[in-house]
Amino acid sequence: MKQALPLLLAVLLLAGCVPPPARVDSPHTEAQDKSYTIDLPVGWIRHIAQDGTLAASRDGFALQTIGIIHLGNDKAFPKSKKAASDTMLPSELAELQIAEMKLETEQMAALKVIENGPVLLGGKDGFRVRTSYLTQRGLEIHRVTYGAAAKSGYYRLEYISPKLHYFDVTYPDFQKSIDSFRIAGADKTAAK
Amino acid sequence: MPQNRLPRLLVAAALLACAGAIAAVDPYADRESAKPGSEEEQRVWSQSKEFAEAIRKSGIAYPDPPLTAYVQAVMDRLFPEFGGGIRVQVIQATQLNAFAIPDGNVYVNLGLMSRFQNEAQLATVLAHEGTHFTHRHGFRSQQSLKGNAAFASVTAMLGIPIFPQLIAVSSIFGFSRELETEADNVGYQRLLRAGYDVRESPRVFEHLAREVKAGDIKEPFFFASHPRLQERIDNMRKLSAKAAAGGDGGSRADYARVVAAARVENVEGQLAAGRAKSALIALEDPDFLSDLPPHSQYYVGEAYRLRGEDGDARKSEEAYLKAITASPGFAPSYRALGVHYLKKTQYGEAVRNLRRYLELAPDAQDRAYVQQYLTIAEKKQGGNP
Repeated sequence: MKQALPLLLAVLLLAGCVPPPARVDSPHTEAQDKSYTIDLPVGWIRHIAQDGTLAASRDGFALQTIGIIHLGNDKAFPKSKKAASDTMLPSELAELQIAEMKLETEQMAALKVIENGPVLLGGKDGFRVRTSYLTQRGLEIHRVTYGAAAKSGYYRLEYISPKLHYFDVTYPDFQKSIDSFRIAGADKTAAK
Repeated sequence: MPQNRLPRLLVAAALLACAGAIAAVDPYADRESAKPGSEEEQRVWSQSKEFAEAIRKSGIAYPDPPLTAYVQAVMDRLFPEFGGGIRVQVIQATQLNAFAIPDGNVYVNLGLMSRFQNEAQLATVLAHEGTHFTHRHGFRSQQSLKGNAAFASVTAMLGIPIFPQLIAVSSIFGFSRELETEADNVGYQRLLRAGYDVRESPRVFEHLAREVKAGDIKEPFFFASHPRLQERIDNMRKLSAKAAAGGDGGSRADYARVVAAARVENVEGQLAAGRAKSALIALEDPDFLSDLPPHSQYYVGEAYRLRGEDGDARKSEEAYLKAITASPGFAPSYRALGVHYLKKTQYGEAVRNLRRYLELAPDAQDRAYVQQYLTIAEKKQGGNP
């Protein structure tokens, strides 16, 4: 089941979870580097990795994970060694993100893109991609990825969960978090 | 000693140690005899079955029954006395790789399948991998690799989150020099007996080695991962030097027909994974391109766009235009060209092509993006008629 959450858990493990996991008592959360704010679901458990990556789960990270990752634009896609830019079209960012996921593991090469479209994320034009893949035990995992690039970097918000039972149960909580997400300094502007 | 050399030396030392310790085990003679000969070998087979099951459940097998049947038929022709006991599966992976596991399962990546030029070249690799099974190379290596932690790390390199011990007994990263040479020599005899054109056997090594060199490919690769590649090419040349002209499986056109869909799938897979440079190595080969469907210039355009080097934007535009000329009903060429013109601020051309895309592909998954870009282009066009 750990293979279901390849990137977020790897990031957590490699970066080291410096502050101990904590229960979310107050939803309003600000990034360590002050680059964004988001409301997390109350009662969930929150981890903050050394690099500032934030992950939250209600029932356990193998069952559902919300992840918020902020990277420099030049380090946005480390596997493909591509950079993000705030001048990119949303579909170009989505294309790079899908390629990045496909390069994560051999299993992810067979990743299926179920939905792919433009959104406004945190005040910036971005994308929303829903993908699915199977673990080596045949468990179907669904992953919803939002992404947007600003001058301050590339922001990726993800929800990863087994399709069976868990995905639908806590997806609305993720959607509320998405709606509350704000990139510091970003205007609420639709496509130019 | 520089610290960064230490891990490499440790791995080299481990490999040398195992090469000298390979146990002698009789090869399997036929399907009936192809069974584990000891409890230890039974354990290796059990691990293999778990591996094969993980491959099956994770959905990475290429779902093309006719292609699978074709590849299996080639394997059965090479190993008739095993009568289907060596099972071949094509894997949805774009890397140039193939490997065997100890229980008789052989895997060939879609990337490698799509780059062979004919059936005789495919047969060369299948004969090699089949010999790893019949001569029990996995088990023989496992006996000397037990407890060798060096191989655990290769799972990360390959990206297959599977059983590290299986990596040690599979041919994913090649066996020792001795076992690889045995697989080449025995495999060559199999090709001869099956009536294949053995002059193709060194060509497959040469052709793909050139491709790896040209593309500066560092990923796991059937040949590049094996030590002393030139030595192996020389060996295959020596074996086939006196071969008479003729033999089966040399037709490029016949093979192209069989793998036509797989080649398109592979190119699309390479582009979706952002492997533009790898894709271009094949797409810049006129012979390869001529075997693809009429809209294949679309893939050329996409590969240049994704590579993004100086002059690539112009090359991609030219390729999209050629694709539209060759296949006017193929919608993605219009979207690609429309986005290209949008970025170049040629809004009139952008509008025309994006509209055409939506007409041809009204239910496209990316319709919302294209509609958004069309709106932008129309507004801009209004401002700059």
